[in-house]
Amino acid sequence: MIEFQHVYKSYGQGRPILANLTFKVSAGEFVYVAGPSGAGKSTLLKLIGGLEPPSRGSIQVHGHRLDQLSSRARPYLRRAVGVILQDTHLLYDRSAIDNVLLPLAVTGLAPGLARSRARAALEKVGLSSKENTRPIELSGGEQQRLAIARAIVNRPAILIADEPTASLDIDTARKIMAVFKDFNRVGVTTIIASHDDTLMAEYATRAFKIEPGKFADSAHEQAHTYSKGGVQPQEQQTQARSGRSEHLR
Amino acid sequence: MKSLLRQHRYALAVTLRRLAAAPISSLTNLLVIALALSLPLLGASLLVSMQPVARQVSVTPELTVFLKIDAPKTAAEQVATRIRKEHVEQVAGVRIVTKDRALTELRSNPAWEQALKVLPSNPLPDAIVVSLTPGEQLAERADKLAQVWRKWPGVDLVQLDTAWVQRLEALLRFGRIGLLLLALSVALVVLATVFNTVRMQALSQREEIGVARLVGATESFVRRPFLYLGSVTCSLAALIGIGIARLALIPLNEALASLARSYDTEFALSLPPTEMLAIAVAAVAVLGALSARWSVQRNTKF
Repeated sequence: MIEFQHVYKSYGQGRPILANLTFKVSAGEFVYVAGPSGAGKSTLLKLIGGLEPPSRGSIQVHGHRLDQLSSRARPYLRRAVGVILQDTHLLYDRSAIDNVLLPLAVTGLAPGLARSRARAALEKVGLSSKENTRPIELSGGEQQRLAIARAIVNRPAILIADEPTASLDIDTARKIMAVFKDFNRVGVTTIIASHDDTLMAEYATRAFKIEPGKFADSAHEQAHTYSKGGVQPQEQQTQARSGRSEHLR
Repeated sequence: MKSLLRQHRYALAVTLRRLAAAPISSLTNLLVIALALSLPLLGASLLVSMQPVARQVSVTPELTVFLKIDAPKTAAEQVATRIRKEHVEQVAGVRIVTKDRALTELRSNPAWEQALKVLPSNPLPDAIVVSLTPGEQLAERADKLAQVWRKWPGVDLVQLDTAWVQRLEALLRFGRIGLLLLALSVALVVLATVFNTVRMQALSQREEIGVARLVGATESFVRRPFLYLGSVTCSLAALIGIGIARLALIPLNEALASLARSYDTEFALSLPPTEMLAIAVAAVAVLGALSARWSVQRNTKF
């Protein structure tokens, strides 16, 4: 599903933010990306989402080599990857449902079908009563849920989220994570970057820990810590048994 | 195919929503482009209306055949008869001006009177003034006849009086070139206005463009509403421009009518034919779309 092979990422001539990153994520996994601020968590997610190109190395997502993908083909891959960035990037000049309709308009779906799918997505995140409300009138948690609805409305195979529970109270954060877990249960590969180790431990089946100069994969070293409450893919279990860790930079 | 049509419908809806979201700005842009477009339309109206008038202008092009100074007295009559006989279809009238009559006419001019008194004899030749029948390519016909007559015995010089034709042609050429330059200037105004409008829109829609790309929008999807914006703005502006030109023609025609009446004739300016106007609207719409494409390519690279 996702495969990184010796991936480097740096901006300009500076020191690489990520260096020699090699890992595989199988379909249906729920991966938690941990690490301090500035370690490169967001960059990793952007690389997976095809929002940034790698400086070196190869990235394969959903059967496509991102580094070899033409700029014309890139948008079609993005439709298979639902992205929720730290800043929700909602459009405040239109209603909640219009925000969710945008990814469907991009694919040219029939308006009637698009509307019913957008309503279903809003219902899934518990916002069906707010479809005509503008994002500015929604709470922080509701805005996050709206961003999730927009990310999942196109039924992506992969869902990536950058700090989706940051600045939310614990109850709201749990509700948000429950939504992610629901999607993961139906086979959507989910990768979430967060600072909240305790919360993530409840939901994720695998963890990547990024620290300056170091990358650790729980599937190789500490899978047991994050294996609660999730379906652990066979490949992950095999990798976990190998007990290998990778140190980078 | 259906999906593409839906995307176009979406782009058009987005365009209209963006236009409606900033009504004052949209109207101002429309008016600026419409006013600019109304100028060449008025110029075209003038040229289109002048063409039949130019054709109706009653002119009697003349050629003057001067005989040699020592030609016999009967020579003028012989040449005049030959002209009448050999070029009957092209000649409207032939008039002989004898050297004595020419001298008399010249003497009646006080400026020449003293100078002529000192001359021992009449220095003027006999002349035949030939009027041509009006029609197409007058200048060319007159030139050919002059070349033939110059070779006849007794003929010294044929003076081709085509200045009036040259003046008229120069005037029309000036009008056409002027209109072309005006149209080019207006095209530049349209290009600049649409370019800037789309640039401002692209900057203000930065967030929406970013989100659209995030959810998998192709560059065509992102750019399409801007192309529609340029095209729709220019089409509407062209239609308003036609309306403005039509309105402007009302007082102009009233003023022209009273001027024409004083010459005992009728004259009115009218807009070019509908087909020409439809082509102009389509051309302006294409121009708007091209300008928008140029602008959006430059201003959405983020």
